[in-house]
Amino acid sequence: MTDILKFSIPGKPEYVGTVRLAISSLANSAGFDIEAVEDIKVAVSEACTNVVCHGSPNREECYEVACEVGDGRIIISIVDHAGGYDTAKYQKPLTDCSCPKEGGLGIFIIKALMDEVDIFSELGMGTSIKMVKYLSRF
Amino acid sequence: MSLQMKSSYNNELGQWELVAKGEVDISTAPQLREYLDGAYREKKADILLHLDELNYIDSTGLGVIIGAFGRMQESDNRIKLINPRDNIRKLLNITSLDRILCSDH
Repeated sequence: MTDILKFSIPGKPEYVGTVRLAISSLANSAGFDIEAVEDIKVAVSEACTNVVCHGSPNREECYEVACEVGDGRIIISIVDHAGGYDTAKYQKPLTDCSCPKEGGLGIFIIKALMDEVDIFSELGMGTSIKMVKYLSRF
Repeated sequence: MSLQMKSSYNNELGQWELVAKGEVDISTAPQLREYLDGAYREKKADILLHLDELNYIDSTGLGVIIGAFGRMQESDNRIKLINPRDNIRKLLNITSLDRILCSDH
């Protein structure tokens, strides 16, 4: 049994924090522990930040965040219509050298914090990031 | 969802002491950049950034710190992060930034 919640958010920086709060509250009530809630919170925030940073210059345009909770997991999909990018060109940032670069950390962080991450992007259309976190079993 | 910053120059130790409180994300990262750059413009010295009361930071905030690190490195100055909370320490660890930004490494 799962429930689906959907949010539509204007692509403005000031609303990324609102999404972050909403999703962490949802993850908390779905039974995730504090550390997992933090992971989900950061991952969602990074994905929204990507939309806002690399998205369309028209920040009035909305992107969608959909969450499916239940069956021992949370699935979060973030879908934008901001033009897409070439996922093959993404490179893992080199942070362990003495001259780390300023950008490119977002996707790397999402992949490190979530159990499954899938990115689909179509040039000229948009990008969707689907991420899954499982409730840890004791 | 806000960030409060305080900065003061420690004459005795010859370094900046900056305190960040609240959250750093895409909406508050410019404020962090302004504080770091403003202090460094005023006096070129090492910066200690106290994070005891910082609840949240993401890649935009880390990017600002990396940018400052790079600019300061040119003049042989350092930026050090002091007392990050566990959630922030985890991010610094997975990005390996703790190796260059934290004093306990």
